[in-house]
Amino acid sequence: MADLVQLVTIGLLAGGIYAAVGVGFSLVWGVLNIVNLAHGALVIVGAYLTWQIFTASGLDPFLTLPIDAVALFAFGYVVQRGVINRIIRAPLLFTFLLTFGLNLIAVNVLLLIFKSDFRSVTTAYSGAGLDLGGIVVPYIRLAALGIALLVAAALALLLNRTRVGLAIQAVGSDRDAAQLVGIDLRHAYAVTYGLGAACAGVAGGLIAMIQAITPTAGEPYTLQAFVVVILGGLGRVSATVVGGLVFGLVEAFAQSIPGSGSVFANAIAFGVMVLVLVTRPQGLLGRLR
Amino acid sequence: MTPQLDLRNVTKRFGGVAAVDGVTFSIAKGEILGVIGPNGAGKTTLLNCISGVYRLDGGDIRWHGVSIAGLAPYRVARLGVGRTFQIVKPFGSMTVRENVAVGALFGSDSERPPLRAAFDRADSVLELVGLRMKADLPVSALTIPDRKRLEVARAVATRPKLLLLDEVMAGLNNVEIDDALEMVRAVHETGVTVVLIEHVMRVIVGVCERVIVLDLGRTLADGQPDVVLRDERVIQAYLGERYARRLRGG
Amino acid sequence: MTTSQRWQRILIVLGCAVIAYAVLAPLTSLDGAQALNLPLLTDKLWFRLATITAMFVVMATAWNIIGGLTGYAAFGNVAFFGIGAYTTGMLIAKAKWPFLLALPLAPVAAAIFAVLVGLPLLRLRGHYFAVASLGVGVAVGELVQNLDYRGEPIFGGASGLFMPIFAVPNRDLYFFYLMLGAAGVSIAVTWAVIRSRFGYGLIAIRENEEAAAVIGVNTTAYKVAAFALAAALTGLAGGIFAQWNVFIDQENSFPIAYNVEMILMALLGGTGTVFGPAAGAVVLQLLIQFLSGSLPITLDLPFVPEDAMPVLAQVVLGVLLALVVIFAPRGVIDFFGGRSRLTVAYLRRSLRETSI
Repeated sequence: MADLVQLVTIGLLAGGIYAAVGVGFSLVWGVLNIVNLAHGALVIVGAYLTWQIFTASGLDPFLTLPIDAVALFAFGYVVQRGVINRIIRAPLLFTFLLTFGLNLIAVNVLLLIFKSDFRSVTTAYSGAGLDLGGIVVPYIRLAALGIALLVAAALALLLNRTRVGLAIQAVGSDRDAAQLVGIDLRHAYAVTYGLGAACAGVAGGLIAMIQAITPTAGEPYTLQAFVVVILGGLGRVSATVVGGLVFGLVEAFAQSIPGSGSVFANAIAFGVMVLVLVTRPQGLLGRLR
Repeated sequence: MTPQLDLRNVTKRFGGVAAVDGVTFSIAKGEILGVIGPNGAGKTTLLNCISGVYRLDGGDIRWHGVSIAGLAPYRVARLGVGRTFQIVKPFGSMTVRENVAVGALFGSDSERPPLRAAFDRADSVLELVGLRMKADLPVSALTIPDRKRLEVARAVATRPKLLLLDEVMAGLNNVEIDDALEMVRAVHETGVTVVLIEHVMRVIVGVCERVIVLDLGRTLADGQPDVVLRDERVIQAYLGERYARRLRGG
Repeated sequence: MTTSQRWQRILIVLGCAVIAYAVLAPLTSLDGAQALNLPLLTDKLWFRLATITAMFVVMATAWNIIGGLTGYAAFGNVAFFGIGAYTTGMLIAKAKWPFLLALPLAPVAAAIFAVLVGLPLLRLRGHYFAVASLGVGVAVGELVQNLDYRGEPIFGGASGLFMPIFAVPNRDLYFFYLMLGAAGVSIAVTWAVIRSRFGYGLIAIRENEEAAAVIGVNTTAYKVAAFALAAALTGLAGGIFAQWNVFIDQENSFPIAYNVEMILMALLGGTGTVFGPAAGAVVLQLLIQFLSGSLPITLDLPFVPEDAMPVLAQVVLGVLLALVVIFAPRGVIDFFGGRSRLTVAYLRRSLRETSI
């Protein structure tokens, strides 16, 4: 029984990270209709940013998260406005290839700068955790879950209660109608991608605190983000959060099966995705797109 | 005599709304039939049910006595039921001739022509609909009326025994309508049963022997055009209660 | 003669020259030719690069069948390459089959897999299909590497699979011609498909799947067939690769980068044409090899250390990908086929069509 609770705990904690990674991805996909293959790269850029600031200045990594958010927002804004906006009307294949190309560039530039050594962010409290009657809950992972939920809530609030957010939703609903009511499409698109990148950046900062990072460590997160969004459903932030938590649980249970082990991460992700696509394409909470 | 197409209690729902609700009628071989009704009456939905694009929620559709409900669209086409789309769906990267030839290459099972024969057949169909001169043009170079002709041509090339035309006349001016009517008559004369879904009354009166009126998914009337169009219920459905009363003189 | 016709002539002549070179130059390495004192045009490096190039010609041309003609841009075709490689590899290494008997089973296995995976997958459209197929590519590679049976890796695991060397005189030349033959088969198959009823059906599906269905095209069967055909050809390349390389593992049989490379090659050369993907494959492969420093001619950048070159190569590849996708979505062959002219105006127009 204790094992079950520990498993669920692990699953939920991991799920928090997946949710954080997923919300930015979901936003960009839902509004801009772009499956951002460079999302993992954005995550890992955020991770490196946190690591760099922490290593250079000793600033507590949690305090670097807002910096990650702002920096990645700016970066995402520029990339969308300058590059991706040029291809947005082309068939799906091209946006796919473009984001793949951007991913290639980003990851390899990171390799040039940081080489492929593993880096980690270790603080005084890195290993510590709560001990609730035999169940171990590491502080950092708990805080990460909390922050992930906070980011999701903030994003949802922004989308539903602010002018910017409503503009973004309008653009996502009907591009032409949004233009007719006076929304600057290029700016709106860029802001959307920037927000997606900001969420990715924060997720990356959290990841830097939890695992050792290397420039190629972001790749699996792209596929997992895709699975999370498919699982939860496209459309609302809450759907992605649910998707992330559920996926975390699924993964925890799958990995606990003796024999299969943790090496099948991608295979598990893919299996879940195909299952959902074939049986319930709109996901757990979403609407059909 | 078994009717060519027999609809019995056909029902199709979307969510809670029955777009088509218990529609029943038969079509004999060689008829030229009109289907009219106000917007939202379920005409296109009915057509989609016949051609297999939608699955029925109730009732049955029989082709020469055999049920075709639930068949995939390509199977319905192979049986000899051809159709056009209200918003035309040409094969954009092909020329006019190629579009029609593809129709001839596939289509009804009565023949399976080789490539050369398909292209020859395409040429004769293009002649029939009046697009012969434009055979080598890309689709993008065609005007809207011509694209509608192309849509019809492609469907005719599939050697249909029954042809369902979905609002082929929409958006055409009077002259273009006359030309299109010529084309429909020519197709009908080759022995194809034609069903025209239309809004333009001139077409119905001009070429149909029989008219079925749909309203809110149900059949309202079924008979000769001049009788049906004077039917009070039909007038009411189209023009509303108030105008119908005014026409009546009350 | 118009400019486009002149360009067409040039392209045809160029193409024939390349093919003639590829077919004849290796003959200079034969003992008989050496005895006649013919200049040696090919060496070990030449054969290695040429064989890899031919391999990509097969893959890009095969991808074109499902991606270019049918319009279903599969993103995980490397799975078929790996399946082909491992089918042949396992038969040779574990079941001790002779190479030439094991090879035909590579395309068969790949095609069967394509049918099984394609039936559910091809019901998806757009993004969903693309990423689902990407997922397949990644997952299959991982499964092959990690599947154990009673503690022992079935397919050789992380340490890979070794095969005995295929003993044949002039081995480099033999495998080059074999791969070249596969390339020829790919192109021939594409040529046959494009002018067949099957090909028209595929193009109809690409242009408007609903319209294709109502004129009598069995879209499901056709899509799966196209997918299986692409898989078979890709699997064939994998099978040849396995014995040629003598060693296979997840890294060299399921490299994710191949997925994008084959698509980029088809795009560059012109999807939907017979020779486009092949041309794109040759050009891009040469570029990739040049950037990786594998060619005799190398670039010496003063501020870049030796070991960073392959990484920089990837950056350049990414930039190239971005540029091609943004400026020339219809591919290079579009220019030389006479449909457009490579001018700034064309690039600008192309850009305007796709941006907001």
